[in-house]
Amino acid sequence: MNITRREWALATACWAEILRAQTGGDPKFAWFEPAMASEIEAIVEQIIPDNETPGAKRAGVINFIDRALAGFDQDKQELYKTGLRETQAKRAEMFVGSTSIAGLSGDQQIALLKAIEKTDFFAQVRTHAVLGFLGSPAHGGNRDMVGWKLIGLDHQMSYQPPFGYYDAEAARGGSK
Amino acid sequence: MSAAQYRPSDEVDFLVIGIGAAGGVMAKELSTAGFRVVALEQGPWLHEKDFRHDEVAISFRAGIINDPKTRPNTFRKTPSETPVHQQAVEYASLVGGGSVHFTANYWRFHPEDFREHSTWGAVPGADLRDWPITYDDLEPYYTKGEWDLGISGLGGSNPFDGPRSKPYPLPPMPVKSSGVLFERGAKKLGLHPFPAPVAVLSKDYHGRAGCVHCGFCEAFGCEVGAKSSTLAAVVPAAVKTGRCEIRPDSYVRKIEVGKNGRVTGAIYFDKNKKEIFQRAKVVVVCANGAETPRLLLMSKSNAFPQGLANSNGNVGKYLMFDNGGIAFGLFEHPLNEYKSIVVTRVLHDFYRSDPKRGYWGGGGLDSRFDYYPIGFALGGLPADGPQWGAEWKKTLAEYYTHIGGTLAHATCLAVEENSISLDDSVKDAWGMPAMRVTFRNHPDDMKNIDFLMARQKEILAAAGAKKIWHDPTTTTETTYSRHLMGSCRMGDDPKLSVVDKWNRAHDVPNLFLVDGSSLVTSGRQQPTATIQALAYRLAEHLEQVAKRGEL
Repeated sequence: MNITRREWALATACWAEILRAQTGGDPKFAWFEPAMASEIEAIVEQIIPDNETPGAKRAGVINFIDRALAGFDQDKQELYKTGLRETQAKRAEMFVGSTSIAGLSGDQQIALLKAIEKTDFFAQVRTHAVLGFLGSPAHGGNRDMVGWKLIGLDHQMSYQPPFGYYDAEAARGGSK
Repeated sequence: MSAAQYRPSDEVDFLVIGIGAAGGVMAKELSTAGFRVVALEQGPWLHEKDFRHDEVAISFRAGIINDPKTRPNTFRKTPSETPVHQQAVEYASLVGGGSVHFTANYWRFHPEDFREHSTWGAVPGADLRDWPITYDDLEPYYTKGEWDLGISGLGGSNPFDGPRSKPYPLPPMPVKSSGVLFERGAKKLGLHPFPAPVAVLSKDYHGRAGCVHCGFCEAFGCEVGAKSSTLAAVVPAAVKTGRCEIRPDSYVRKIEVGKNGRVTGAIYFDKNKKEIFQRAKVVVVCANGAETPRLLLMSKSNAFPQGLANSNGNVGKYLMFDNGGIAFGLFEHPLNEYKSIVVTRVLHDFYRSDPKRGYWGGGGLDSRFDYYPIGFALGGLPADGPQWGAEWKKTLAEYYTHIGGTLAHATCLAVEENSISLDDSVKDAWGMPAMRVTFRNHPDDMKNIDFLMARQKEILAAAGAKKIWHDPTTTTETTYSRHLMGSCRMGDDPKLSVVDKWNRAHDVPNLFLVDGSSLVTSGRQQPTATIQALAYRLAEHLEQVAKRGEL
């Protein structure tokens, strides 16, 4: 038991370190060109919009995607390049005279994404957005655990019962 | 590292291949009994401190499972189809194997599981058989496993269970809101829910710490060693004997056969892909229901041109998968299912096959909402609603803590065509033929999944769910499984089975197979307790046989 308790303390310490390392956020990208980053960011900000609650922007999803594409998801770089190229073509066709996705209005961006939502590219960006929003902060997203807070996950390394409303109610001996 | 160190040229008493649910038990029991053991594991030897609250690594980067990039498999539904690259089997690839990442449901099979052919008769299109052993043969070893590994539960609380010689060593885990609601709904319907038996410590036990309810449990390695994996519960004891050497990162490609038709040891790749031949008097294969038959098929020799222990062609056949649908219920108040273990209540009212249903099959149901945040956001919300954007985000925020649910654990009929075989057209990262998986559910499996889903929704409705839906990908034909069963089945008749009732290969006197591959029927899934009971039973048998000088 001594060993596991010690290791547990270590794991908790690691977690604190992750959170410290994460605050601030690095504006430089490991893989993205800035122009591409702002276009992808415009897409993820419609997938998980920042409104009355934090979304992709506040969570630093673009940093997660950048790290993923530079690291464990290098094999998805090509999909991003070709997917974005095709999306730009679709944008130019739908909104004549526009020059970028980021430059479209919110409604136009949503219309564009609806037009491409069945593509592999969109599916991949959506997956990455969710990973960056709700994954461990250790990967560069979910900054300050805003994703977890949004869904009501109060992150701690251990909990004690009662865990929720109904088991608390049962422990009190009551149920409807 | 292990205290014991053997040279490959040392002829050890036992070579254990695969240190999972069964292999960990074999390593400990055999070394404790005084034998010299080398245990080989394909994956790494990780420890509590290596595990993290990291869904990205675990679920999206093959964290502790067989990595499709290095260990690809191909899949087809029937032998007439052309196989495609598609991962169809998943197993944990590390010391401890599936016992590290499983949900920890620890159900015994029922007495009737061992003689379903006798009680039901033949099922057309399937090969339903009785086991060569009974529940009573296995009962002492279920008990031994429960006490050795550390299982929490309430003996006697399941009216459908077989007799048990001892209670569980630990009380049940604290009930979660999903368990309270499941129990409430089930009781309204006259059913018999009971506290889930789980391989998680509800209290400190044998020097290990009790569960801290951190919530990163199913699919993850336990960060405090409270999940009763073989990694946490028995491998340390094996090492401590000074007679068992654990060799991680050791991938066996062939079991060798001598002139007399007995096995002599195995060739494996070490971490640097260097080939090593380890000699042994007896080989025990515990590589799981997919890798065990694959290894036998790769072990071709003059004596066994179709693969080791495969003179009757049965190795790899009758593969059984994990069936059962997931139902969700949305409730008024927060359940906070992200905390603690997954399952706290179970019911077995629909376990037995009932001729009135018009098909063969049955199942157990458990209370669970086992979605981590990413998995839920990507695929857990109702499919008819938006899947991205402001409305989706709002639903995600409202639903995550307010969902309970149930999972069905449904029978899988043994069908001869469902199998593990070799795909010589695709190689793994070591140049070995990829695993080819052929699987298509028997029609009765699908009828049963639908029947159980209707019961699941009734329970959620009776529990007061405001909205009920299910994951449609879990009620269609199974194409992916973590339970890998039946591919080297046990039986008395050497023409119809691969191992005898003592897990000895019919063809080879000093070769034993014990893992999911031995199972004759699927039970109602949750095979770990039965796999481990078989391992405890085999270890005791080997000790007795060795003492009589009959090995």
